[in-house]
This record gives sequence, structure tokens and C-alpha cells, in this order.
Amino acid sequence: MEYVVSVLVLMGIYVMLSSSFNLIIGYGGLISIAHPIFFALGAYTTGVLSVNTSIWPPLAIALGGLVALVFSLMLSLPSLRISGDYLLITSIGFQLGLLEVIKHLGFLGGASGLGNIPNVVEGDARSGVFALISMGMAVLVFLFIRWLIRGPYGLLVSAMRDDELVYTSLGRNAMKVKLVIFAIGSACAGLAGGLYAYYYQYVNPDQFEILQSSMILTMVVVGGMGSQWGPVVGAVLLLFLPQAIGFLNFPPSVMAPLQGLLYSLLVIIFLFVRPQGLVASLERKTAKSTP
Amino acid sequence: MTPTLQITQLCKRFGGIVVADAIDLEIHAGDILGLIGPNGAGKSSLFNLISGVYPSDSGEVSLMGQRLNGQSIASRAQSGISRTWQHMRLFQSLSVLENLVVASRFYEAEGLMTLFFQSAKIKKLQEEKAERALQILQRMELKHLCDWAIGDLTFGQQKLMGLARALMNEGQLLLLDEPMAGVEGQSYDMMKEVVRQEARAGRAICVVEHNISFVKDLCSSAVFMFAGKILERGRVEDLLASKTLEALYFGAQADGVAAVEDSL
Repeated sequence: MEYVVSVLVLMGIYVMLSSSFNLIIGYGGLISIAHPIFFALGAYTTGVLSVNTSIWPPLAIALGGLVALVFSLMLSLPSLRISGDYLLITSIGFQLGLLEVIKHLGFLGGASGLGNIPNVVEGDARSGVFALISMGMAVLVFLFIRWLIRGPYGLLVSAMRDDELVYTSLGRNAMKVKLVIFAIGSACAGLAGGLYAYYYQYVNPDQFEILQSSMILTMVVVGGMGSQWGPVVGAVLLLFLPQAIGFLNFPPSVMAPLQGLLYSLLVIIFLFVRPQGLVASLERKTAKSTP
Repeated sequence: MTPTLQITQLCKRFGGIVVADAIDLEIHAGDILGLIGPNGAGKSSLFNLISGVYPSDSGEVSLMGQRLNGQSIASRAQSGISRTWQHMRLFQSLSVLENLVVASRFYEAEGLMTLFFQSAKIKKLQEEKAERALQILQRMELKHLCDWAIGDLTFGQQKLMGLARALMNEGQLLLLDEPMAGVEGQSYDMMKEVVRQEARAGRAICVVEHNISFVKDLCSSAVFMFAGKILERGRVEDLLASKTLEALYFGAQADGVAAVEDSL
């Protein structure tokens, strides 16, 4: 039972990550691979604050989101000024470079990670409480993105992604939309990081490597890029799949490669058979075009 | 009277290619000016210079007496310049109505503070925009298609949509880039009618068009462009009667160039 509950915590965290990454790449059309670093920035900010001060936990998580937001502007301001394509290139450098910096900063625990993060929920129900908080935060992130995209701002995002030049020729500010979308998405990853730090009480740089980026991207692609439910379905599916085969009781030497195999297989299958993902086209059909 | 658009000595070159060579042009409110000339003459480039897609090398562009040099594309649109594109370039993932709403000259929900904290105000303003968009669609007899996806419209309807989107700006200057290319039948008549109405409403309109009968029907005057220069200006009939221009226009370009060079 404990095990299932811990998967639920992780699920909430990954729904936040995939939904917010979808906002950036699916809705905004901004290609970045630096999502894990914003996840890390949230986790480390919350971790350091809670280790060194007696900060109120929700505030520490919120500050994790804020720090991720500020750092996202450092990446997006210079690179989006030129063109969207540069974001991909600079995001690689940002992801690799910043993680390297984290590994060498003493007060962040260096390469061995930051431990001793205080436990803020005592007792038997700890995992249950975290699962609820995680699910709750995931629902809030989901609803916020949905509100943003379905409302008047969503028109701006879609139009900018479709044709940036025409968008500006209508009097709109393309740069601003891109910055905002990127900042909001990164802040949500930071919030997920904050929760992660409190739940595991330990943050290690290895958990935020560039491979995380492919995991989050797989969730978005399999679920359906640019759809509301796609990343949610993708996150749930991709977290449950390894857990499901976990019950087969293969030895660990088989399990790890098997998981990797399954992920890669899924991406390949989806890119060939259903590049729009599981959910996307269904949503589009019902939303638009009913001649 | 101050012309709506005034261009003086506008120059632009890309490396060795001159797309605008000391262009002088004035368009007044209510005018429909035809911009004709062979492909590569610099007609679309002139539109790009006016709307700010390219910065000019030298010269001036003014709207209602206000100098536009150095202003971004977006701020020129907000000053009242709106344009269409030869290949429509509609927003494919938005519906017909949404394509227009997003094209209003001002869009308050762009400001995050307003978006987050004044939702009632935003809602009202968005409804006003939708109302205005529906009126424009009504005029073009596209209102019943307002929820359709762009991809489901006919070519002619998409061309009309390009014009409809430009009308959302309600600016003083309208630049139409080949509005008639590939348009036939009902859409053709509709396009002509709407452009005429807009001129009557006091807008200054400039049309790049290869469809000569459209230019003849609609334009009060025209200029003939070749190799980044304005070679001739005047009434459409007079321009069309010119043998030199005909030679330049219809393929015999080498002869035409020679003829022009002789005449210069």
C-alpha cells in the first residue's frame, strides 16, 4: 500500500512537470530541453531554505517556483530575443552547465546531494498526506494552465505559435508571450521540485540529468502534445508501466534495461503510428470544425 | 490635407539587389491605389517596408503626418497600418472567429496584470471584439462559418478571411497583397464590394494585384513598379495603354529594360 501511495506522490509531481512542459513545447511551440533544471532549481531552493531556516513549507515551495521563474528569464530573455530556434541550443547549455555548477557548490551538498531536509509531515499517514498534496498541486497546475489556454490568453499563444510574423503585424508582442509561457511553465516545474524535496528529504543532482528531459518529453509526446489531458495521461501511463512490470518480479538486472526498452519502444511506436499522441486529436475534433 | 501615407525617398537594398530605389508615394484617405508591375518589381517589398517587416536603409514613411521610421512592426500596426498576405497566412489552429478576435488593434489580455486581476473587464472587452468580428463576418457572408476551422474553408473564403482579419485593426491604411489571386465567383464580387466600402469609409487602400480588370474596376489611380523604382503613375487606363510598360509587364523584359533605359 505504502508503495502505491508513493507512486501517487510521484504521479502528481510528474503531471505537474509534463503539463507545464506541454505549455512550453506543445502550446507555445518553444523547444527547450531544460525542464529538469527548473525542477532542480525548485528542489534545491526549497531544500536549502528548509535546512537552514525554519521557513513555512508552503512558502519554501512557492519560493522554489519563484527562483525557477527568475532563472527561466535568464535563459529566455537573451535567446528568445533572436529567434525561437536559439532556445533549444542555449537550453542545452543551461541544463548541462547549471547542473555542473550545482554539483560544485558546497552549500548545495555538491555531487553527493543535499540531505537533512526536515520532515514536515510526521506519522503513519505521511505518504498519504504527501499524495494528497501532490495530487492537489497537480490539479491546481492543470486547472491554471487550462484557464490560461482556454481564455483570451490562449488565443495569443496559439496565434503566436502558428505564425510569429503575422502575429506581430497585427500589433501583438510575440516576445512577451514567449517569455510569459516559458516563465509560467518553468515556475510550475519549480513548484514540483519543492514538493519533491520535502517528500524525499534528499536532493541529488543525478535526479535532474538531461535524461529526465527525455522522460518528460516522452510523457508529453505519448499523451499528446498541445492537448490538455495528453500530458496527464502520458505521465500516469509512463509511471505505471514500469511499476506494473515491477510485479512480474524480474531480477533488477533485467528490470532496469526492460524499463529503458519500453520507454524507447513507446516513443518510436508513437512517432510512427500516432505522432499526435493518445488524446490530442480527439480534443481537436470536438473543439473545432463541426461543419 | 495630410496624406494618410506619405513615403519620401525610401530606399532598401539586399546586397546587390535593390528592392526600393528612392520611392516617393502618397495615398490619401478614400483612395484605392493600385500597385502593378512584374514579379520581383518590389511591390511586396514595399509593403514589407511600410509595415515594418524590413527596416529601410534611408527615406521616410509617415502615417497621418507621424514619422514611422524605427518603429517596430507591432507598433506600426497599433498606429493603424493593417495588411494582408499573398498566401493568407491565417492562424490554422484558431477558428474563423478567433482569427479575427486576436487581430484587434489593441488586445488588453496581453497585459498580465489586467488578465489576472480584472477578469470582468477583460470578459467585456473580449465580447466587444467578438461582436465586431461577427459584424465583419456578416458583411462578408461568413458569419455562419464562425466556429469552423480555417482548413475547412474554400480558397476564396480564406482570401476573404485575410481581408476580414486586416479590417479588425480599423486603421487608416490598408495594404492588400494580391487579394484576388486565385479568387473567383462570389468571393470575387464580395472582395470588390468590401474594398470599395472601406475606401468610402475613409480608409486609404493600396492594392498589389496582377488581376488587371480588378485594378481597372476599383483603383482610382495606379503606380507601375519595376526593379524597385516607380516608373510611371497615373490613371489605370493610361498606364495600361503604355507600350513600354506592357513590354515590361508581359515577359519581354529584356526589350522592356532597353526601352526604359532609352527613355531615361
